[in-house]
Amino acid sequence: MQLNVRQRGDHVATFRWIEVRLMETLARWVPTTPETEVKLTLGSHIWDVAQHADSLGRRTHELRLPPQHSLEPSAAYVGLLGDVAASTQSDRRVAAFYDCMLAGLARRYRDYVARVDPLLDGPTLRIVEHILVDIARMKTEGQALRDEVPGVASTDAAWLEGLRRREAELADIVVGRPVEPVAVA
Amino acid sequence: MDSADIGTITVRGGVTLRAGPAREPCFRIVTDQADMARFPEGSPEHRREMLHGDVNEEVQSLEIAAQSLADFPDAPWDIRFHLARQCWDEVRHARAFLRRLIELGGRKGEFPIINQEWGVVCMFDSLVGRLAVQNRLFEGGSLDVFKEGVAAWTAWGDHVTAEIMDAVVADEVQHVRFANDWFERLRKEEPRALLKAIAAMDALRVRAAALTPPEMKMAHEIPINVEDRRDAGFAIE
Repeated sequence: MQLNVRQRGDHVATFRWIEVRLMETLARWVPTTPETEVKLTLGSHIWDVAQHADSLGRRTHELRLPPQHSLEPSAAYVGLLGDVAASTQSDRRVAAFYDCMLAGLARRYRDYVARVDPLLDGPTLRIVEHILVDIARMKTEGQALRDEVPGVASTDAAWLEGLRRREAELADIVVGRPVEPVAVA
Repeated sequence: MDSADIGTITVRGGVTLRAGPAREPCFRIVTDQADMARFPEGSPEHRREMLHGDVNEEVQSLEIAAQSLADFPDAPWDIRFHLARQCWDEVRHARAFLRRLIELGGRKGEFPIINQEWGVVCMFDSLVGRLAVQNRLFEGGSLDVFKEGVAAWTAWGDHVTAEIMDAVVADEVQHVRFANDWFERLRKEEPRALLKAIAAMDALRVRAAALTPPEMKMAHEIPINVEDRRDAGFAIE
């Protein structure tokens, strides 16, 4: 069944929450990442995820939510984001962001596209189309970084695989708003 | 390490600064302006040292904007959005200066670097204080410095670097302007919030006096960049 207006609002606000959290994660990593090129690439992607958050935040207002409204995803997904943010080694930061979180987020956006009516939710789909193009570019830039900086070229493959599996297992991360009780006269 | 765990250091004049952001081992980091390299003005070494310093200045500006995004999650979204854009701008500036440095035969780590702007600005515990010092004062000052830089590089016959400087100034105007616009909004809606900006400026005056080596007092006054300052929202008499 396709998502209704309320469900679409919940999804868009949840995506916004995630993009803001990714922005804050990159922002925390920038001063504590020593390699100049890694620092600069992460720093440039702060602006990309901020734009995603902003576009989604303008759309929330069109879906009966306040402008720039965010909804926290499931506790398990918040925990995953927290663990990723706590990474301290540059190679793990790069792999976690480009190979796990961005890749997983792109999959979630595509899943969303498949669950809405393209006419009724056209404005969200335009936003998501742009985001997916950005994510593809960001991943390309993340790979170029690995080609340029030997210190982040590879990471612990088992660790990354475990992180990816954990991300993929979190199927439904949208918690949404509690249902308001119907007033009885 | 989380950026919130970056501690403090004590430097010249007993001034306490935020400890430095992470740097590659190729860099020699100093904490006193007196330990920076000095070369005859206009010499190839002097020009590369200037560009090398510009790279680090832009990286620090990126780090300060990023740290402010991390430290103030409850700030108005439009201000956070501007800070995020500023991050990208500073990245582009750092890359442009680094590219030019390499074209002129230089390299990362060729000269000592100092992270004093980061150290000073990230001591302030309010976003208003940080923007007052970083965006209005330091970046406002850079409008004057870079304009003079455009003239200097042009006089040395290096129009490529002069063009980079000019493009950077155009971007910096936006960073000063969004801070000025926010302060104007606060002046009307929440004037008490500006007390933190005033306190930050007072603290800066004391620290700046203590941090500047006596032999390094400014040799000449940098002309005011009237046009860009006006465009950035400063009232010019």
